[in-house]
Amino acid sequence: MAVTTSGHLPAQAEHGQSQLPWYIRDLYKYLLAFAGLTAIYIGLRLYQGAYGVLAGLDSTEPAFQTYWMRLFHVELIFLALVYPALWGYLWLSRDHNLDEIAAKEELTRYFTLTMWISIYTFAVYWAGSYFAEQDNSWHQVAIRDTPFTANHIIVFYFCFPMYILLGGSAWLYARTRLPLYAKQISLPLTLAVLGPFMILVSVGFNEWGHTFWFREEFFAVPLHYGFVAGVWFSLAVGGILLQAVNRMIELLDKIEDMP
Amino acid sequence: MATTNLFDFPPQPYTGEKARLTRAFDYLILVLALFLFIGAFHLHMALTVGDWDFWLDWKDRQWWPLVTPLMAITFPAAVQSVMWTHFRLPLGATLCVSCLLIGMWITRIFAYHYWNYFPINVVLPATLMPSALVLDMILMLSNSLTVTSILGGMSFALLFYPSNWPIFAMFHTSVEYGNAQLTIADVFGFQYIRTGMPEYLRLIERGTLRTYGQYATPLSAFCSALLCTLMYPLWWHLGKWFATIRYVKTI
Repeated sequence: MAVTTSGHLPAQAEHGQSQLPWYIRDLYKYLLAFAGLTAIYIGLRLYQGAYGVLAGLDSTEPAFQTYWMRLFHVELIFLALVYPALWGYLWLSRDHNLDEIAAKEELTRYFTLTMWISIYTFAVYWAGSYFAEQDNSWHQVAIRDTPFTANHIIVFYFCFPMYILLGGSAWLYARTRLPLYAKQISLPLTLAVLGPFMILVSVGFNEWGHTFWFREEFFAVPLHYGFVAGVWFSLAVGGILLQAVNRMIELLDKIEDMP
Repeated sequence: MATTNLFDFPPQPYTGEKARLTRAFDYLILVLALFLFIGAFHLHMALTVGDWDFWLDWKDRQWWPLVTPLMAITFPAAVQSVMWTHFRLPLGATLCVSCLLIGMWITRIFAYHYWNYFPINVVLPATLMPSALVLDMILMLSNSLTVTSILGGMSFALLFYPSNWPIFAMFHTSVEYGNAQLTIADVFGFQYIRTGMPEYLRLIERGTLRTYGQYATPLSAFCSALLCTLMYPLWWHLGKWFATIRYVKTI
């Protein structure tokens, strides 16, 4: 057992005051997270539109330092604050009474875990779909004279750490609040978080290859296959779904049905 | 208590709290799956098919119909192995391809067209929707991995070129340019300079297959069909392996 017993989470006591059905009590937080992330990602894209061509074409220009390297440093500071804050919160607020958890409460937490994973996949969308392919577009018009190009600063050093943060948060949420995940380690959940994490590590190989091997932007080449193998592991989300459904069926049998 | 009555006509669906709960969970999974497959499948495609799908002048008769279906049948097979086996939902391929197209279209418009001013015609994505629909249909009708691998895999590859032909045929019209016979797609490529993708990297019509003239495309398509029949079961099993429900003691 990964956690010990000493108290209940505050959320359990608060539930009942909301107008929402008990099983989706975290819906507003979930929607708020979507809205917040959407604002951040669209804001970054608008920033690229405003300052990409203006100051992002040549890293030796002073304007590049002002508009792009400063953004890079702001991102690092933001991530350095958010990582320990979120993961620390999830760990410190863990449930110490997992052996006594009620069926309804456990069902609710499966909904919340699904919301965490959903937010994680939303971040994967921005990192793996939009900003990743936009890299190809930008490198057709900019001089690739630095690993910190106007798109790399967003995709590699913000989007990738952001989805790792959220994937890690989903893993920690499950580990600290759901009995099955606390007793043992879920293999599919771990694969779905660790595999895409390796995409960030592949950035090192990518930049090395683009420095010493070739500077062009040819996407379908072995230099990029580290990213590809990493993203295959996201298919493990199917296993998480199956684990959740199996347990939720058991839990549903334990509660009374209501009209 | 919402219960179904034997004499209800038409029969009323069960609408109790447990039904609402499971429906709410379905919606959550739908949102999750939407972004998961846009993000993951799109990245997979961008880095394996990539340039053949990004650029109009890469959509040749030889590599494009070979590489695209071969790399695109992967996620559909893996997702079908979970959705069909466990939930009897015959829509794994269509779901993956729909998500892929949403992701690609958003990127082509906002990343290529609006940011870097590539005409949208230069970066039109190919469609795989007919291939995906047929793959799902064959799995549903046959309920057989073997039949779907052979018939579905072949159909997935063979349908690719004809279903894209109405979109891209006009760009294959020949033109004379600099005393050479080119296609309109070639001219697009020369006109819109790509610093990261110079002409010497363009992998089209390499080798001697083009000496077969008009047979180059069906040859590539049938080669892809053969490879897809092998790729499909491989990724079906990969999808099954990834969708493990194991818990472990240590990692």
